[in-house]
Amino acid sequence: MLEPLPADQFTREHAAHLLNRAGFGAPPAEVDRYFALGLSAAVATLVQYERVPDTYPDPAWSVLDPQEAARIEAIRFLPDDQKRAAQEEIRKAYRKEDLELIVWWLERMRTTPRPLQEKMTLFWHSLFATSVVKVKNPLLMWQQNQTFRSLATGNWPDLLVAMGTDPAMLVWLDGRVNKKDHPNENFAREVMELFTLGEGNYTEQDIKQSARAFAGWHANPVTAEFNPGRPSEHDMGIKTYLGQTGPFSGEDILRILGNAPRSAQYVCERLWRYFGSEEPNPQLTGAMAARFQNAGLNFKPLLTALFLSRDFYAPEVVRQQVKGPIQWLVGSCRVLERPLPPPLLSYQMLRLLGQVPFDPPSVKGWDTGVSWISTNTLLDRYNFSALLVEGQFAGLGLGGGPQTFTPKPKDNPGQGPTPVQDPAMMQTQTPAVPPRPFLNLQGIAIDRLFTPQELADNDSLLDALQKRLIEGPLSETRRNSLRAYLQNEQPGPDRIKGAIRLLMSTPDYQLT
Amino acid sequence: MKNCPCVHTRRDFLRTTLLGGALTLTVPTFLADTFSSLHAAAALDSATQVATGKDSPILVVLQLAGGNDGLNTLVPYANDFYFQARPQIGLKGDAVIPLTDQIGLHGGLTGFKSLYDEGHLAIVQGVGYPNPNRSHFRSTEIWETASASDRNEKYGWLGRYFDNACAGADPTVGVNIGSETPQAFWSPVPMGITLKNPGNYRFVSGERPGMGGGDLTEAYYKELNETDSGFGHGADDAAGASIGTVSSGNNAMAPGVGGASGNNSPLSFIERTALDAQVSSDKILAISKAGQNLATYPNSGLANDLKLVSRLISGGLTTRVYFVSQGGYDTHTNQVNAQNKNLKDLGDAMVAFCSDLKAQGNFDRVTVMTFSEFGRRVGENASGGTDHGTASPQFVFGGRVKGGLTGTYPSLDPAQLDNGDLIHTVDFRSVYAGLLENWLKTPSEQILQGKFDPFPLLA
Repeated sequence: MLEPLPADQFTREHAAHLLNRAGFGAPPAEVDRYFALGLSAAVATLVQYERVPDTYPDPAWSVLDPQEAARIEAIRFLPDDQKRAAQEEIRKAYRKEDLELIVWWLERMRTTPRPLQEKMTLFWHSLFATSVVKVKNPLLMWQQNQTFRSLATGNWPDLLVAMGTDPAMLVWLDGRVNKKDHPNENFAREVMELFTLGEGNYTEQDIKQSARAFAGWHANPVTAEFNPGRPSEHDMGIKTYLGQTGPFSGEDILRILGNAPRSAQYVCERLWRYFGSEEPNPQLTGAMAARFQNAGLNFKPLLTALFLSRDFYAPEVVRQQVKGPIQWLVGSCRVLERPLPPPLLSYQMLRLLGQVPFDPPSVKGWDTGVSWISTNTLLDRYNFSALLVEGQFAGLGLGGGPQTFTPKPKDNPGQGPTPVQDPAMMQTQTPAVPPRPFLNLQGIAIDRLFTPQELADNDSLLDALQKRLIEGPLSETRRNSLRAYLQNEQPGPDRIKGAIRLLMSTPDYQLT
Repeated sequence: MKNCPCVHTRRDFLRTTLLGGALTLTVPTFLADTFSSLHAAAALDSATQVATGKDSPILVVLQLAGGNDGLNTLVPYANDFYFQARPQIGLKGDAVIPLTDQIGLHGGLTGFKSLYDEGHLAIVQGVGYPNPNRSHFRSTEIWETASASDRNEKYGWLGRYFDNACAGADPTVGVNIGSETPQAFWSPVPMGITLKNPGNYRFVSGERPGMGGGDLTEAYYKELNETDSGFGHGADDAAGASIGTVSSGNNAMAPGVGGASGNNSPLSFIERTALDAQVSSDKILAISKAGQNLATYPNSGLANDLKLVSRLISGGLTTRVYFVSQGGYDTHTNQVNAQNKNLKDLGDAMVAFCSDLKAQGNFDRVTVMTFSEFGRRVGENASGGTDHGTASPQFVFGGRVKGGLTGTYPSLDPAQLDNGDLIHTVDFRSVYAGLLENWLKTPSEQILQGKFDPFPLLA
């Protein structure tokens, strides 16, 4: 288990697989570059990403003007009528920033020179699933996202401490209302059930004792500042937690948790599911956990071992993962070498496909694997492919008329107070209104994607299409269908666009 | 359009001919119905001409997501314990529509009241299950899989119904209005489709402005999605044959099942879904155009979804189970306003839906059952809301339903609560059993994986 793949067995398809899983896919030229590096240098390039400068700018609103903060915080002292208007204005500003934040991250995923760092950031967001619907202020969400990014491949107990004191998390799982005399156990429960141990690996007593230790931490929902609270707000009494006894602080508890063997095992299982396969592989994840413990619970050595291993390149792993909607959208733009669709459209596509960043359905995160695929989402993917390829596209219930942006409300985030909003707001569509305005987006540039030789005849073109979009085998029946399409469609660039769209409208393209 | 490759693959061929060949005395009638409407191209003609399809019973499952507060939905408005537990949010006076001198409906549910008075609404009081779980996702899972609370079950109760009672049927045997497949539909052999908007539920070809009608993508999309990859399956014969047989356990595929080869691969799952999407999309579009709404619906998400269900029923879709969902019931804060709006939407949408079905002459064919993952705690919280609790009522509507209050309202006496929560008096699986046995006319024991007394709901 976890034995390295011999360097001479590293193929170009393996290089593509590495970039698909440790990143968001790559166009053929980039796959070639990584393949030319050889296995160990390719993995090192991905894992030791600090060598590559990161110049991506922060959102304009990520630094909050103190005066503006004071103004927002004073809103609650206004008379009722003024208060309502001011709150509405803040809500509008937050909605705008939320959309900007979503696109800020998607664009970062698409263009990053550090793919693994972004892929791990998405992993942490999926594990510590927190939603803007309850947190409301995108500044808190952005700050949490930055924490995921800076600790993306860092130390496990450090990350747990960072999450325990993270303002978005303190709002999301009610840590900020967890008081010494009125304990709220929401975070104490979920951190073990969903983030580190899994059900059955802790007791109700562990929840109660640790909730005591977490009491007294505050977060400012306007400025996103963490406030450790006054000493008198903390319960310094003796607690017994996961078999250890002492006057533990919240940080002590999170370090005990991070160092518990089961939590190392758990995070390795989640990593394998994310990077490898939905199929549990206890032997392998056991070996990963051992490697992880030997490495002082640091992720870089673990990920290096994983990406070098035979297991990662096994046939039951390669091209057997269902692309999540984010992977599908960002990866498609990358292999088509095109920008993301405009913000509202990108958001709508992801909402219809079931994965809006910063808005997981619950603290449990997104269901993955074949759960992404229903008849509806599959047809949506096929039609959105046309939109990405053609640029302009009629007939879809997207893009017509003025649209507003509202994060879709959820019925079940954490267990704490939840705003109840109209769930139909984003869902309502007038069925079957025939003529819709054409969308006019930037499409793809065929001459940038294919060389004249590749365009010379149908078989070269088929090979090039398969290499760019599938990066693996395609059945002879499907190749024959595509060949027949290329033969029968009227010549011209639209024929090639049609072929790309068709190849993206296959079951095979939904896998990576 | 030139050179249209309207091929029928071997798989499609087998799917139809095996069914055709199997149309003997042993085949349930609905299977014969769906067979005759299998060919999507002829959807409009065949589907509307399916004579017996019009007679089969339909179940509509309506999810109230978030955990609806049963106590403020079916209000014990004469009970002192109720007002002691809920000094702020307890409903009284005009906020309650009395049904008896003890029990009344939430004031927003005028729609329910009219259906109740007609005898078309049965209210099952105190529904829940032993060892209740208060987590949204876990309790939803329990309701959707019909499992005991200490057992994790992957497949949904409706999925098992499709699997046990409708094997070989057209994928539209189950229709979920939404974008993600509910766990209730998951089954070893996936069946049932998910759609949000019939106008978008199809492959949209790439016609471009200024281009002639020379676009062939749609024809080739069909070909590309009709064929097996050849990677994920055994021989064509085996795949085809197992579709035609009633029990196809070795064809198992469901969310969470992976593996590189064989019928359990993700590719195989997506291929099946693609085939279902393709077989159903022309049909859905044709039927939704043929169908007519004969009532005016209010403007809400739920009303739009029910309007679509009604149109599909009226168009003659041979569906046994529809699944729709209304969200927003997780009322931890300021419950009164939020629940007012939700229940008003619910009641108004249901009245429109029922009027529509009556006008179509379909009301006697349809039964609607609501469910919510849990009710809420008896005592209100400090934020004008309620936290996650246990038992709550279920509402069952339809032309053939035996209307009235049924079951027993759980006691609100603090001495008889379980740690501040209601103790259920009816197991939800009995309600399911009642609908399976007496409405869908199928044995319930295998589907519910246990024996539950069918709760009497029908006249």
